[in-house]
Amino acid sequence: MALVNERARILENECVGPNLYLMELSAPQIAASAAPGQFVHMKVPGKEAHILRRPFGIYSRDIAAGTLEVLYQVVGFGTDHMSRIEPERADHVSGAELIGPVGRPWQPPEDARRVLVVCGGAGAAPLYMLCEQLVASGVRTDVVLGAQTKAALVFRERFEELLARGAACGCGAPRCATDDGSFGRAGFCTPLVEEALAEAAEAGEPYDYVAVCGPEPLMRIVARMAADAGVFCEVSLEKCMACGVGACLSCVVDTVDGKKRACVDGPVFDAAKVVW
Amino acid sequence: MAGIENALPLTTAPTNVRMAVNLGGLAMKNPVTTASGTFAAGREYGDFVDVASLGAITTKGVSLNGWEGNASPRIAETPSGMLNSIGLQNPGVAHLKEVDLPWLHARAATTIVNVSGHSFDEYVRVIEALEDAPVDAYEVNISCPNVDAGGMTIGTCATSVEAVVSRCRAATKRPLIVKLTPNVTDVTEIARAAASAGADALSLINTLMGMAIDAERRRPKLARGVGGLSGPAVKPVALRMVWECHKAVDVPLLGMGGIANATDAVEFMLAGATAVAVGTANFVNPCATVEIIDGMAQYCERHGVKDVNELIGALEW
Repeated sequence: MALVNERARILENECVGPNLYLMELSAPQIAASAAPGQFVHMKVPGKEAHILRRPFGIYSRDIAAGTLEVLYQVVGFGTDHMSRIEPERADHVSGAELIGPVGRPWQPPEDARRVLVVCGGAGAAPLYMLCEQLVASGVRTDVVLGAQTKAALVFRERFEELLARGAACGCGAPRCATDDGSFGRAGFCTPLVEEALAEAAEAGEPYDYVAVCGPEPLMRIVARMAADAGVFCEVSLEKCMACGVGACLSCVVDTVDGKKRACVDGPVFDAAKVVW
Repeated sequence: MAGIENALPLTTAPTNVRMAVNLGGLAMKNPVTTASGTFAAGREYGDFVDVASLGAITTKGVSLNGWEGNASPRIAETPSGMLNSIGLQNPGVAHLKEVDLPWLHARAATTIVNVSGHSFDEYVRVIEALEDAPVDAYEVNISCPNVDAGGMTIGTCATSVEAVVSRCRAATKRPLIVKLTPNVTDVTEIARAAASAGADALSLINTLMGMAIDAERRRPKLARGVGGLSGPAVKPVALRMVWECHKAVDVPLLGMGGIANATDAVEFMLAGATAVAVGTANFVNPCATVEIIDGMAQYCERHGVKDVNELIGALEW
């Protein structure tokens, strides 16, 4: 699929939780062609001394409206600057530029009947579109959501609505955990993953696929749980990135097949091939 | 991308300006190439840039056998620039010959292969391996700051520069470009050594050695501690060194270091460069090279310059 460098108007840029922001951009070409798990490599306007683009997983898109959403966490100068951008008026010439859609999407087995999706914090961003696709194709999809606090579980309602639409094919409500116990199970979400895997196996309806994105320790632990349960698992990895098209070799990940580029060989990798 | 309305330009707009230059025997249809390591062998940028529209493609540094490169993190953003410590990761010269060079040849690209090695002998063996391949020129990389053997360790000492360049010279009749490091006291001393040993052209500058520290964690931001600084931050240093070398040696220069737009490129030519390379700017704008070619032609038209060669060393004082 061809990459484009699309000038994008910033339509919304809202604080939706602690250090969490949702940016809506007008980028019809990328919105139309993006697959779940792909990202955009964004040149953030007004950041001249900080020259590099920033990669953001595509949270959701609206093909008809030509828009896409990026859910991001403020972690450094670039994202702090981004969080202060005032959405431009519709008649204003846009400032952001997006290279996209970049990367290897999630690749659930074509015959998957039951899927477990695990989201840690802002790691939920590249997983929502996957869930949409699974629910739309009638795959029984279970979701585990983890965050530090209830306020940081900003994506919960969207996942609830989505899974409710999939109730007919057996999708249940998301299982939630917060570090401080302010919503759902207290503590990390990994015990919920373990329970989900065990319950599915006991019921004789095991998962065919696990998709996980979040902090690296979470992905490592879930990858191990899936491997122990004999379930194919994919992870979405994030690395410091310069070109975002596969040329510069900045973002390499150690795998059993050697160093691979997170931008174009990933960001989604077979968890069994990642050397943690 | 053809047919997509918002698509950015793939080819350069026609003007009446003669844009061709000759870099030490290498005919280039315009003065713009890519800085080694920032453009792979062109394929990754295929949706943005027609490789045949550039003066040349300079490929990522290649060694005899594959190199794994350095540990991560390999990059850090710094004010108006970035540090990299990739460590010349590459799959080896056989892969370049089998995969990348045929791809470039099929697209009629002018190709400069950047040659790396851990030893004098390895540089020669890489060139020998490429002599039957579609290569238009070699760029001998004696300036990479991110490897422990070869690279910059050779390029900071005039006697080792002479030794490696003369051996490479003996191995090929093709245009031989030698890429210099700025991490020396006097770049003209190294430039003279390379020219006297048979270099047809010199490219400069490679990256400046630098460091970035994460104060919160009290750790270096790069796994290797140090890396090479590139981007607009290094442009004044690069311009100064191109200007110094232009006065010091007779061979043509391939100028690079922080070129982000056509004005930057023109500045390098005024300082004495015959051609220019675009590096870090590709990361910022994947169409930077073609936009710079267009912009240089427009500059020439605006200034009544009929042939871009008139700009070389045309700095007025």
